[in-house]
Parts: sequence; C-alpha cells; structure tokens
Amino acid sequence: MTPRRKPAVKRNRKNTKPVGTQWRFYVAVGVLFSVFSVLIARAAYIQVISPERYSMQGDMRSLRSASLSVQRGMIVDRNGRELAVSVPVETVWADPQRIAEHNALADTSRWQALAETFRMNRDELIGKVSDPERRFVYLQRKVTPSEAEYVRDLNIPGVYLKTESRRYYPTGEISAHLLGITNIDGQGQEGLELLYDEHLTGTPGKRVYRKDAQGRVIEEISQTEAQQPKQLTLSIDQRIQATAYTELKKAVRYNQATSGSAVVIDVDTGEILAMVNSPSFNPNNRADLQSFKMRNRVITDSYEPGSTVKPLVVLSALENGLYKAGDSIDTSPGWLRIGGRRVSDPRNYGELSLGGILEHSSNVGVTNIALELGVDKLLQTYFDVGFGNDTGVSLLGESMGLFGNRRRWSDFELATLSYGYGLSTTTLQLARAYTTIASGGMLRPLTIFRQESPLPAEQVFSPDNTRAVLRMMERVVSDGTAKEAKVPGYRIAGKTGTTRKIRAAGGYGDEYVALFAGVAPASNPEVVVVVTINEPGTDDYYGGTAAAPVFSEIVGQTMRLLNVPPDNLHNEPMKAASMGGSAP
Amino acid sequence: MLTTEERQRNPILKKLHLDGPLLLGLLALAVTSLFVVYSASGESEALVWRQAIRVSAAFVGLFIIAQFPPRFFERFSPILFGFGLLLLVAVLLFGEVGKGAQRWLDIGPVTIQPSEIMKLAVPMMIAWYVNRRAIPIRLGRLVIALTLVLIPVLLIAKQPDLGTSLLVASAGIFVIFLAGLSWRLITVAVALVAAFTPILWMYLMHDYQRQRVLTFLNPERDPLGSGYHIIQSKIAIGSGGIDGKGWLQGTQSQLEFLPERHTDFIFSVFSEEFGLIGVTLLLALYGFVILRGLIISLRAQDIFSKLLGGALTLTFFVYVFVNIGMVSGLLPVVGVPLPLISYGGTSMVTILAGFGILMSIATHHRLIINQ
Repeated sequence: MTPRRKPAVKRNRKNTKPVGTQWRFYVAVGVLFSVFSVLIARAAYIQVISPERYSMQGDMRSLRSASLSVQRGMIVDRNGRELAVSVPVETVWADPQRIAEHNALADTSRWQALAETFRMNRDELIGKVSDPERRFVYLQRKVTPSEAEYVRDLNIPGVYLKTESRRYYPTGEISAHLLGITNIDGQGQEGLELLYDEHLTGTPGKRVYRKDAQGRVIEEISQTEAQQPKQLTLSIDQRIQATAYTELKKAVRYNQATSGSAVVIDVDTGEILAMVNSPSFNPNNRADLQSFKMRNRVITDSYEPGSTVKPLVVLSALENGLYKAGDSIDTSPGWLRIGGRRVSDPRNYGELSLGGILEHSSNVGVTNIALELGVDKLLQTYFDVGFGNDTGVSLLGESMGLFGNRRRWSDFELATLSYGYGLSTTTLQLARAYTTIASGGMLRPLTIFRQESPLPAEQVFSPDNTRAVLRMMERVVSDGTAKEAKVPGYRIAGKTGTTRKIRAAGGYGDEYVALFAGVAPASNPEVVVVVTINEPGTDDYYGGTAAAPVFSEIVGQTMRLLNVPPDNLHNEPMKAASMGGSAP
Repeated sequence: MLTTEERQRNPILKKLHLDGPLLLGLLALAVTSLFVVYSASGESEALVWRQAIRVSAAFVGLFIIAQFPPRFFERFSPILFGFGLLLLVAVLLFGEVGKGAQRWLDIGPVTIQPSEIMKLAVPMMIAWYVNRRAIPIRLGRLVIALTLVLIPVLLIAKQPDLGTSLLVASAGIFVIFLAGLSWRLITVAVALVAAFTPILWMYLMHDYQRQRVLTFLNPERDPLGSGYHIIQSKIAIGSGGIDGKGWLQGTQSQLEFLPERHTDFIFSVFSEEFGLIGVTLLLALYGFVILRGLIISLRAQDIFSKLLGGALTLTFFVYVFVNIGMVSGLLPVVGVPLPLISYGGTSMVTILAGFGILMSIATHHRLIINQ
C-alpha cells in the first residue's frame, strides 16, 4: 500500500507514479467517514433526540379512538331518596351545510315559527345557521317535551333534535351546598358533583384502534368497557336534612342574621346526617347562582368557638388528674387580672363546682383551670378532638381553622384559649369535638357517605371522664345558659357560645357569632348537633337565645325520625307534655 | 502482504476471481434487502421472489464480469461509451414514456434504460481517456474530459432523470478528481458550478424539480402535496426510536402512509422497524463495502483500474448518501434508490456489474504477474 511498492508493477503502461492519486483516496475515505457520521447523526436526531414529535405525529395519523358516553349517576341519601338525578331532555341543533343544501332558509314561515318557539328573534336565529361551512350549531339546549314535539313537527331540513340529559335536584335548596351543581354539559362544577365527577360520570367505553391511510381499521389496540356510572349514597338523612334546613332558615330570618349553619352527626358512626346552610340557592335555576349563597359554610367558614370549648378545658383537667368530677373552684371576686388584662364573669359566682363553671360559663373558672393545666396540656386536648385538622369528610374547600400557631403563649393568651379565643374552628370541627365527647372519647373521622360499619376511631379520652363532662353539660341546658335548647322527653347536654367577631380591620367589633353545640340524648348519646348563627341582627345575639332554639327543634325532630326512646319521661313528664303542646 | 495471505487463504475464491470480503458485504446487503422488501411491500411473497431472482441474476452478471481482466474493460470503454450515447439519443427520439419521463427503450423482448449503462460507461470512458497521457491532467484535456462527462449527463437530465444524471456526473468527476486535479482547478470548477446554479434553476430545471428543491427547503410548506413524502418519511424514521418497532411492525410503512416505500423510501421502513441501531449497522455495512472497494482500487496496479475502481466505489457511496440524505430530509428528493436494498432490478444490475469490475481489478493483476 505504500508508494514504494508501486514500481514493482511493470505492466503499467505509462509507468507513471500516481503522485496525486494516493492521498486523494485518503481524502475520499475521510469524506466518506464524515458523511456517514452526518447520516447517523441525522438518524439519531430524528429517532432519539426528537422522536416524540415524530412518533406522536405517527400516532396522530393512524390512531383513532371512539367513545360512548353514559348517563350521570344519581346521588341519593342514606335511605335511597334521590337528591340529584339525570333526566333525558332534548336539544335542538342545526347543520348549516345541510340547511344550505336544501335551501331550507327560503321557507321563512317555518323559521319564524321556530324562532317563536325559542322566544328568539328570527333574524338572530337565521344568523346562527347562515354559515354553510359549519356542520353543527346549537339552536336551543334542553327544551321542554312540548317544544321538542313542535320542532319535530316543523320538520325543517338540517334542524335536528338530540337527547341530552339534564341534572335535576328534587330537594332544591335544602342540600344545594353539599351536592353542588353541574354545568349544561353535565360536568360537575361544585360540591360533590365536582368532587366525585368521575365516579358519577363513569368511564365512557373507549375503543382505540389503528387505521391505515385508506381509513381501514387494521388493528384493535384496546377496548375499555364502559364503566356504568355509579351512584353516590350519602350518609345524609333527607328528612333530618330538610328539618334542619327549615329550622335554620327560619332562625336566620328571625334573628336577622347574615348566615347560619347546622350539622347533625351520628355519634356511633361519625356519619353526617345533615349539613345545611342558609342562605342557600336553587340548583335547578341557574339564574340564582351567587357565590355568597353557594358557600358550604359548615366546612368553609371558621370562627372562634368561644365558650363552646369550655367543656374541653374541664375534660382536660379531669384527664390530667388535676381535678375530680366533684371538685370546686373559687371564682370570686368574679374577675382576674393577668398581665395587665382583665378576665371577668358577668357577676361574682363565688365557689363553683366544675359543672357550675360550665352551667354559668364562667371565664374565671376555666381560666383558673387553664393556668393550672398549662398551655401544652390544653392544646393537646384541643388537638385530641380534632381542632386544627381536617375532619375526614374531604369535601371541597374545607377549612382547618387556625390553631396553636405560635411558639410562646402568655398567661393571658392561655386564658383566652380556655374560653375559645385565639383559635378558630369550623362548625364541622366543633361538631367532631362534641362527637368525641359524646362517643366516650373516641376520635373518629367524619364522613358524608353511608357506612356499613363505623369508621375506625382512636380512644383519646377515658369514657368515665367524658361521661362526667356530659353530665356537667346537662346542667347548662337544665339550669344554665341554654334552657332554650331543651327537648321534651330527652336529656340534653350542650354548651352555648357567643363570640365577638374579629373585624377585617383588626380588633373585635360589634358583630357576634351565636353557637350552640349539644348531644342528645345525654344518657346514651345518638346525635351531636351544632348550630351556628352568624351575625345576628337583633339584641338577642347569644348562643343561648339565637342558636339553642334551632338546636332544640332539630334534635326534637331527629329523635322522632330516628325513633330514639326518650330518657327523660320520669322526671318531668308533665312539663314535657306541656312544652310539647306550647311549641310553636 | 495481505494479498498474499488472502490468496493463500482463499485459493478457490481467487480462481473464481472473487474478492471474499467484498462479496460477503454485498451478499449481506442483498439478504437484508429481501427482508426489508418483504416488510415494505406489505408482506408480498411474489415481490420478494421477483427481487430474489433479480439479485441472483445480478450476482451472476457480477461473476461473469469479474472473469474479464481490467485490460478488457479498458479497451471496451470507448465502444461502450459510444454505444450508450447512441442509445441515449435513441431514447430521446423514440423512448417509452413512464411517470412523466422518457427513460426506457423497448428493444423487442426487453426494455432497457440506457442511462444505467452510462453509470458504468462514463467512468470507464473518462478513466480510459485520462489514462492515455500522463497524470495529473492538464487543462486542455480536462476540458475535453468534462465535455465527455457533460454530454451524457445533459442527455439524461433531459429525459428527465435528475437522480441518474447526478450519479453519472459524479462518477465521471470522481475519475477526474482521482486522476489528480490541481486544487486551483478544483476551485475554479466550484466557482463555475456556483455560477451555473442560477442558470440551472432558471432554464434547465423542470417545474417538478424546482418544486422538489423548494419542498426540500421547507417540507411543511405543503404537507399534503409535495412535502408529503418527506414528512411521512421523517415520521416513519422518527417512530423507530433507538431499537425500532421490529420487523413487520412499522406502522407508518405497513399502513401505507409512506409513499414509494419499497423503492426509493425503503430506508424509512428500515429505520422504523430497526431503529437507530439498525441504521448504524446498515451504514457500517455500507462503509465496509465502500472501504473494501477503495482498498482494492488503491492496490490496483494500473492507473485505469485505480481510477475506475475508485470512481465506481465513490459513486456507490454517493448513492447511499443521496438516498439516505433524501429520505431523512437532509437533501432534496431526487429519485435515487438505496443501492442493493431498494426493490428494483435495473440499478441492482448496474451496481453489481460495477462491483464485478472491482472484483476483476482485485483478482486479476496478481494472476497476470504470476503468469
């Protein structure tokens, strides 16, 4: 291969040394290698660096999928009553190209009739269908059966009907916040409709296949069976829900309040039997949608719980062995000075038992207990009942309130914690706390779905102590601040709360939140009911006067609907009868 | 030294005038071709049989050609060239028209494509002409050599067949290059080509050729029309990824989205089904064949053999480069098949005939000396 070997070849006619030839071959080899490198680099670029683009385009050219949709599932209450149903309705649509082909626009009288059916201007209607390039235009969605019949009779070429489904809520505004709404295309927009949209929609059957350039199907790639839409069975008892809503709405109007919320919990299972808010909206009427009406305040709005936390302070004292059920505390002279701030009761109650502290809702009493407990133990108890945590319902927009978000607590702040300031809870969180007391110290997640068996719970307090606290809370209703919460025939344990609302500008203003949280029947708790009346407009803005009567009505009806045996007939049978007679 | 070893190792091949490595490379490509054609034709056994028969015939042709010594080709060159030129003129006057071009000549039972003959005749002719005097080539003789190249090239371009005229031109120019063109002349030539390009564009190129160049510059210009080929081809190549979709599994090619997929665009099918790994192996195989051809040419003992062998090998390389460059969007679409892989008999015969000459070059000189 070296030039030196060349002269050996004598047969070369010209016997010329190919001076240039040799290195030209090497140039050729060099060019060859670089060109092949370029080709491989090019292939690598197409195949490895940017293959998604090309393989996606490849699939775009050959993969097709078809789907078959199904009707949206129902939402029913625990007894199978329909709360949200889908009904088939007809929609009028047009194919402008077909209309142009048949020259259907010439028949103006029929278009006039069609326009009148939809209460539209004829020119406006014709304008919608005048572009012959288009193949699909909605003329009127979800028409009434008689309108559909009329359109069918008009028989205009290019104007068709198709079946759609319309969501209907038989319970109207009663459960509107919880259920939410769907849009005109049947997709969930709010509440459970949105949260469980996939579950309710089901999975439409899907067939993925490959077709060739001639449009022939040549490969079935996958076929998903249509998942029939499932229905949602809620834990709500529509009868209790309706009662709660009626009573709440009445109370909100009577107290000239901004809003109100109420929730009913099944103590044994953690199921929510009712969850209502006022004001509400009519989910069947889209014109009625306003955001302030649509908020599910039971879970979205948090307040300082005020005196309703006092039973927890007493419970904490019992749990930590600080006091026994029969012990008493001297609250005289009816006020305390802590770090230059004053904690006071309305008057000097003197020596009070623990039950007496709750009965009179003595700030001085719980402050004394809290100061002895210390902040850690008190906060632990609050935490044990679920404050600062989600309640387990996992609904959209659930607030967890504010809780324990500081590192140092002054004595005064500790004192305010003991009577329910410096933390905030939602109505549902408060209900869960009371459910924990009512169930003998079992902290259980709450749920909005009917359960076959109770959800697993955690024992956070001893049953003896919770029972003792319940007994003390009975005094609140029988002799204390919440006499209006009484329910004839039943022993009721509960606690009022009246808290000043923080103003947006800071500091406390003149608006109040009236709260009542209670358990019935106290001897063998079945339900916990919490009522929140936000910003009552009258002078009777107290928990005992604004919220307690709502509680009484809801519990009374609930006891009857759930067939709960009365536990208070022997003590005051005559009184129960007379109250029953005089109830409005 | 190597040659001696080879001769001792393969006395039979030597007797048959075949070069072992080159034959192996060519056979590997031909076998690959059968598999890819089977896939690209939509699993048509008939097509594969036809291809197999053509490949066999072409190999027989190779074998026969390899038996002649290079000196025979040298003497035969002017005759073949003149004959080819006559046929080209004949095509122009009474050729068959197919797909908008006049390329075929119907002579009784067979149809022949004279432009294919020129792929061999032009490099032979130029090598013969250059070899008559001492190299490196002088300017006056260079002009004559270039004219000898240009006449058939223009005749072929007139048919019109841009791909073949390009290959024929490169074959002739490679001979001139290898014969030792001074760099000054090369520079002048490049300048001339640059000057010639606008003239080519304005007067000599057909509309469809201009269209191809424009489409090459921007395939998305017309995705359903003239850009369709190249876009589909790139999609097919890109769908292959690193390891490909597997033989007979390519969707773009199997589903007939890809045009001309068993002829000019067969590389796209190959790429989709065998991926980057397959592409690299295929190019390595081509590289091996080309390198072997260059080694044979380097070892050739007369200038004519050296120039002809080098030019034929490099033309084969241009084939590969132009085809792959075309289907992967690096070069404009010109109708050049992927050598030895694409379905089609004519180019297969010509290419293997060229390799027959290379085998002759590889095996005859020693024999002559030894005799």
